[in-house]
Amino acid sequence: MLVNRDTFLVVSATILAFFLLIIGFFILLGKPPFEMIGMLLTYALGDAYSISQTLAKTTPILLCALAAAVPGRLGLISVGAEGQLYAGAITGTAIVLAAPDLPAALMLPMMLVCAALGGAFYGYIPGILRARLQINETITTLVLNYVTVLWVNALVFGPWKDPASQGWPATITFPSAAILPALPASRIHLGLLIAVAFAIALHFFFTRGASSQKIQILAGNRKVGEMFGLNFGTWVIALMAMGGAIAGIAGIAEVSAIQGRLQPTISIGYGLTGFLVSWLSRHQPLIILPVAFLVGGLVAASDALQLFAKVPAASAIILQGMLFAVALAVPGIIKSMRPGYER
Amino acid sequence: MQKAIACFENVTRRFGDLIAVNDANLEIFPGEVTAILGENGAGKSTLMKLLYGVHLPSSGRILINGEPSAITGPADAMINGVGMVFQNFSLLSALTVRDNLLLAWPKTPYWVSENNKGTKEVLANLTRLAPHINPHSKVSNLSVGEQQLVELCKVLNISARIVILDEPTSVLTPAESRRLHGFIRQLADEGVSVVLITHKLADVEACADRIAVMRKGQIVDVSPRGQKSMSEIVTLMMGSDVKREISPPALPKKRVEKLFLNKICATAPGMSLKDISLSIAAGEVVGLAGVAGNGQALLAEVLAGIHPATSGDVALDGISLIRRNQMETLATPLGYIPELPRKNAVVENMTLAKNLNLRALASGKADVNNEVQDLLTRFHVNPPEIDRYASTLSGGNLQKLVSARELGRPRAAILACYPTMGLDISAIQMIYREIFAQAEAGAAVLWISEDLDDLIAGSHRIAIIRDGQLVAVKDNDGKLNRDTLGAMMTGLKPERKVA
Amino acid sequence: MSAELLTLLGAWSIATLRSATPLIFTTLGETLTQRTGIINLGIEGEMLAGACVGFAVGVATGNPWLGLLAGALAGVALSCLHAALVLGANANQIGSGLAVWMIALGTTSYFGRALVGNQVTPLPDLGSQLTDGLPFLGSFFGQMTMSVPLAIAAVAFAAWWLAHTRTGIQWQAVGESARISSENGIRPKVVRLKAILLGGLLSGFGGAILSVDYTQTWAQDMTKGRGLISVGLVIVARWKPVLVLPICIIFGLAEVAVLRMQTAGWSISPHLLATTPYLVVLLILIISHAAARRDTDMPADLRRVFA
Repeated sequence: MLVNRDTFLVVSATILAFFLLIIGFFILLGKPPFEMIGMLLTYALGDAYSISQTLAKTTPILLCALAAAVPGRLGLISVGAEGQLYAGAITGTAIVLAAPDLPAALMLPMMLVCAALGGAFYGYIPGILRARLQINETITTLVLNYVTVLWVNALVFGPWKDPASQGWPATITFPSAAILPALPASRIHLGLLIAVAFAIALHFFFTRGASSQKIQILAGNRKVGEMFGLNFGTWVIALMAMGGAIAGIAGIAEVSAIQGRLQPTISIGYGLTGFLVSWLSRHQPLIILPVAFLVGGLVAASDALQLFAKVPAASAIILQGMLFAVALAVPGIIKSMRPGYER
Repeated sequence: MQKAIACFENVTRRFGDLIAVNDANLEIFPGEVTAILGENGAGKSTLMKLLYGVHLPSSGRILINGEPSAITGPADAMINGVGMVFQNFSLLSALTVRDNLLLAWPKTPYWVSENNKGTKEVLANLTRLAPHINPHSKVSNLSVGEQQLVELCKVLNISARIVILDEPTSVLTPAESRRLHGFIRQLADEGVSVVLITHKLADVEACADRIAVMRKGQIVDVSPRGQKSMSEIVTLMMGSDVKREISPPALPKKRVEKLFLNKICATAPGMSLKDISLSIAAGEVVGLAGVAGNGQALLAEVLAGIHPATSGDVALDGISLIRRNQMETLATPLGYIPELPRKNAVVENMTLAKNLNLRALASGKADVNNEVQDLLTRFHVNPPEIDRYASTLSGGNLQKLVSARELGRPRAAILACYPTMGLDISAIQMIYREIFAQAEAGAAVLWISEDLDDLIAGSHRIAIIRDGQLVAVKDNDGKLNRDTLGAMMTGLKPERKVA
Repeated sequence: MSAELLTLLGAWSIATLRSATPLIFTTLGETLTQRTGIINLGIEGEMLAGACVGFAVGVATGNPWLGLLAGALAGVALSCLHAALVLGANANQIGSGLAVWMIALGTTSYFGRALVGNQVTPLPDLGSQLTDGLPFLGSFFGQMTMSVPLAIAAVAFAAWWLAHTRTGIQWQAVGESARISSENGIRPKVVRLKAILLGGLLSGFGGAILSVDYTQTWAQDMTKGRGLISVGLVIVARWKPVLVLPICIIFGLAEVAVLRMQTAGWSISPHLLATTPYLVVLLILIISHAAARRDTDMPADLRRVFA
């Protein structure tokens, strides 16, 4: 959390370079760049409605970023939030379909817990593969992402399909007891509160908690950790599952509060976006909070630009990719310009 | 007066704030063995890496045959007839001997097959120098001595006019060292300039024509052989205080067994330990001698509980050290100084204070105690700033930091692997003093080292490890010497030469 | 009976080979890149770019070969970004690969929209008057295009090249240790640059084979993780080019087997069937890791990034 001169230099250079790239991007698309950037800002933060849209996108991005940050603190590169999000959506929906008549006081916590367990299980699998067999977690999480998306498809086209919906592949609409409470006339729901609470809790867990030093030791030097009795494998499994649980909650929150039923597309790449946010924030929960909000704004505004300015739908992901590339390149370039830099 | 083949003119090399080589002037003549003598960290290797093009000078210039050197990298150096054998070798252990030789040869043909002329030529020197080495075996299967022969073969292949050898005898047994000395003389007689980087006087006595002494980055003296006495040279090398005295504390009268190794077996890639049994009493210092890579590192990790043993047990005061369950356990009660501290013993992105308190931190206690400042001063850690990150420390200071953590408080047993690696003379004495103080207070000490002279001077008993087995445990009764130990380390009779 | 069996066998083997071919190229490319100590997750994006550009050029020119060439070049172009980030700016390799993938995913879905529904001229089949009349070989060669023998030849050549040329040995050396290689007079960054570009070339080519030759259509995100699967298969093939062929074929066979289950009357959701490739790659990853617990074949320099 130290904001020293170096960090400031890196951050400002990154923002500047990204800004220049955005300008170039819009020029390539044949749009007036500054007008477009102005519109991006307006659609992200311009009025109450825009902010509500931004916050609606912020929620899943924030949760997915935390899901990547938790194993990230141990030096793991887990890109599995997308798959864990879908896994959480499945298990969370299962409880709603199994007992649709539960009262909200029982339904909401059960739904959230089930979703967390589903996501946790889906983080546990790559975790145990890494801990016991040394299979790289990045590859397994990436490959597993595709599987749960297809499972959701299989369910909503098959056994879970609402017969009343005719051709449309989706479950029944959730009973009102299973809808996360939201601010009136907006898409800001309980999920955002949960996400912010998680971020703050994780900040304390990773900086003050009894385990914080253990994780830091293992992340810094696994061998030293084991010399002092810490078990790397146990922590891999625990943190992978913990990250999965957080992403699972993001999944059920989208289903319950935004879509109202389970249907094929729950996420528009929130998992990957979350990973990007976590990486940019160096896996620090309190930095993830504002970064998730800014990137949420970028995603929401790109949606709006697509509608109103005929900017391609793919812009959001291209811009994220460019932001990622810039953030990766800038620290290295700055370092290589220092005097005394060795090849 | 002969003309110098290479000449350093006011060469300086900085790494950040560190001045590794400071205003060096040196001439190297053909047909001569120039020894560059100095303590660890004196800048000897860096000086020669400047000639070989691994680093470029920050200021000053290097002349080759009177012309400014055009070498900007090792590839240029090889083409210009400069060959270097690095201390840790530059062989790729996963590749075969043949491929290693081909890599380092500028004239390697594009298509490599057994039948074409170029490939045959590259193997010719190997056949001459070491006919017993199979060119198709992987380098990882060769002994250290054999690897060095392959390295020499690489240098011969490029018909080098300047051959730089960086601490070539540090990994060899006494018999292998003698053979190498003979080979160096032979090269010089053929008109090659040999530069021998070393900190051992034995190397200098055996084959140097001209001796350059470095201290703290500066060349403090260059003189032909025989002009200065060895004790004068040692004084130049080490500065003021020279005497290196080691003597272990007296053994307690009553022998109380403390650390007990019972038939330990373990396996790791390329190495296995077989039935290692040893008992160390309270107050006893047992030295473990062996050629590097014969299982010392694995044994240390098994004792420290990092690597699982397949069978056998280690008991300290009757309590097993290695039967740990999957969940978290207490930190090892052993004071353990592993080899390569940067890699094995510190968390670089933590402060010195935290690194000194890893035992407490790993067991979930967050308090950092107040002793840390005293420990840093007592163990000569420089700079002694508790809030500095460990990543900013030099290798030698990290070594001292780890010693401070492991030896700073009373321990029931000490396991020290090469504890003085990379330290200057006063720090070495301090480390030995601390280890012996632990023994005096009743700790059982197992001390792994490659320095046979120090082991003979400082141990009560010496155990010898070879191929993952303890081949002998000898009382250090004054009859042990380098040659007898060396013979046991290699499994050969003292006099017989290694092929 | 035996003729029927032979026909069945022929149908299976041709289906397996054809589904494995794109993967053989990408896995081979990634294997060679990783042999120099660089991991490139961006090959998912490079494959996608190859598929998109290859298909577009194939449609525009009517010449599938030009399409394949263009696809390969698109892969190279994208791999330049990975090389710049990793070698130029010392960026984290895994992060850089993901950035390349994101950019390719967005760009191809934008430019690819116009391509959906187009037809591409396929590569000519290998059937000729010589084989046309023959009972088994006729249909075998009739369904096969040049891509299959090309893939097999590429693997064989790469395996031989890596072991028996000066450059091949240099590539291996750089993968084991950049530091030691440079002490031996090799410039590791140059070698790694070439390896990343070659990986991009083969991945782009593999992607183009997928869209121009195998499916003969374009769909958004059509590679669906096949590039990432390739990265997994490299581990299973233990970084040995020779093993790329059998591993990719086993993978293709499993995929074909499950698809045939559907035609054989098993009533399984097509979505569940579509999970096969991912589950198969996980399964063979688990088997291969359980069989050899330590990655002793992994290039030593890769370990720093990877494990």
